[in-house]
Amino acid sequence: MSVIEIKNLTKNYGKARGIIDVNLNVEQGEIFGFIGPNGSGKSTTIRTLLGLIYPSGGSAAIFGKSCIQHPEIRKEVGYLPSEVFYYDNMRVIDLLKYSASFYKKDCTRRINELAEIMDLDLKKKIDDLSFGNKKKVGIVQGLLHEPKLIILDEPTSGLDPLMQQKFFELIGEENKKGATVFFSSHILSEVQKMCSRVAFIKEGKIIKLEKMSTLQDSSVKRISIEAKSQMNKEYFNIKGVSDFTVKGNTANFIFKGNINSIMKKIADIELRNISIDEPDLEEIFMHYYEKEE
Amino acid sequence: MNMYMHELKSLRKSAFIWACVLIALAALFLSVYPGMANDAADFKKLLSNYPAPVRAMLGINLDYITSILGFYSMIFSFIILFGAIQAMNLGVSILSKESRDRTADFLLVKPVSRSAIVTAKLLAALTAILTTDIIFYAATIIMANAVKTGDFDGKLFFMINLTLLFMQLIFLALGLAISVFFKRLKSVLPISLGVVIGLYMIGALISIGKDDDVVRFISPFKYFDITYIIKNASYETPYLAVSAVIIVVSIVTAYIIYIKKDIHAVS
Repeated sequence: MSVIEIKNLTKNYGKARGIIDVNLNVEQGEIFGFIGPNGSGKSTTIRTLLGLIYPSGGSAAIFGKSCIQHPEIRKEVGYLPSEVFYYDNMRVIDLLKYSASFYKKDCTRRINELAEIMDLDLKKKIDDLSFGNKKKVGIVQGLLHEPKLIILDEPTSGLDPLMQQKFFELIGEENKKGATVFFSSHILSEVQKMCSRVAFIKEGKIIKLEKMSTLQDSSVKRISIEAKSQMNKEYFNIKGVSDFTVKGNTANFIFKGNINSIMKKIADIELRNISIDEPDLEEIFMHYYEKEE
Repeated sequence: MNMYMHELKSLRKSAFIWACVLIALAALFLSVYPGMANDAADFKKLLSNYPAPVRAMLGINLDYITSILGFYSMIFSFIILFGAIQAMNLGVSILSKESRDRTADFLLVKPVSRSAIVTAKLLAALTAILTTDIIFYAATIIMANAVKTGDFDGKLFFMINLTLLFMQLIFLALGLAISVFFKRLKSVLPISLGVVIGLYMIGALISIGKDDDVVRFISPFKYFDITYIIKNASYETPYLAVSAVIIVVSIVTAYIIYIKKDIHAVS
């Protein structure tokens, strides 16, 4: 039985597009990446899973039970939204206890454990916390009942790199213990690191579903180089290069494929400067996935 | 139970503040009573110079005004106005605050049904109103006994005070029903003040015209005629029934709409 089962799920917001005919299955124990640009329908899908919004058509089920008709399935679900807001006048520990009271089991030990890992002061008032610290409260809050399904919606926004690292370790451990993870993001590399499968969503439609292993050795990078001498246009005419522009001594392109092959190519040029960046998702979609359609 | 306790905690302060406001209001008026009772005849004469419509609007009945119950009934129309504002505020805000404070993503992903959330919040609001009213009732009994010039009927006094609760239930339910139709209510006060004061004005205008039993149905502020209660020691059944209908219909509406509602992302 799949942990998440989404069938022909459609949601319209009046005339505006939400999601159209989304089909997804997430299996027990996997970390499933859900990736798409902002406004592509990721949050709409997740909110339907959580029973926050009602589908216009199709169905969404968790552990085989409809997300709409069975609020009790959320006992096994932990959710971390991209932006966290809590009752400002509460202390962190009171909020976490209130959260725990919904699950009818003792979570005190787990709260303390998680707070220590995330370096969170439980006695502070929510109101006094910085954005990053509120996010930590969100992480503890989402995991304190040891959920069997963890739903993450852009979880790393607002976390510093060190905390991101800790956070991913934490999620990895939960996964090892048997939790299934549904991980939504608009940053490809983030998903690449963790996920076993990944679905791409764009303009409300799933455009591709891939096993990570096939994506693994093909990373996508935006590369700009500045050479010491005039560059030959034809030099980078190899597989995986697109959006290529050359201007005097500088060249700019996106590369998708085995990173070693392009590095060898670049190593043969006398360089003045180089930058290798994560391209944003829009670019990746524009130059790769849409062409393959 | 956990949600009920949580809500109650957050309502505690405002319930006490409202009780204090109502008590202060009652104390202010009641403190005038001994002086007025001493010069009852003059006072009556003064009031009888007012045009009848104005007297009706202010809820002044010359036959009773100098008795403590009659005097109390006059000031009680203001108490009810304030009480209605409290109840309406509560009703409008209690569900909508989760969206306004962006905490809906916390509460509504918990393993509880929407109807359980509405029930817990409704019960907490009821408790807050009952607390306010009980404190108020206790305080006014003490005050009325302190300023009275002769004995008064305790049962009637209770019946008058009970109309405060009836009115508050009506406005709590109305507020609840109104609030669920908004996607995200940015501020509560304009709506609650608007509706309450609007209905209050309508009620005042109705009393200027002839006493038409049908017209009185328009404004809840006209449902409980204190003079009638003093005279007959009972409530007017049709209006009591309409109150009950308004309360039930509003609450059922709130449940139905809220259960079916899409909770949108914060942005």
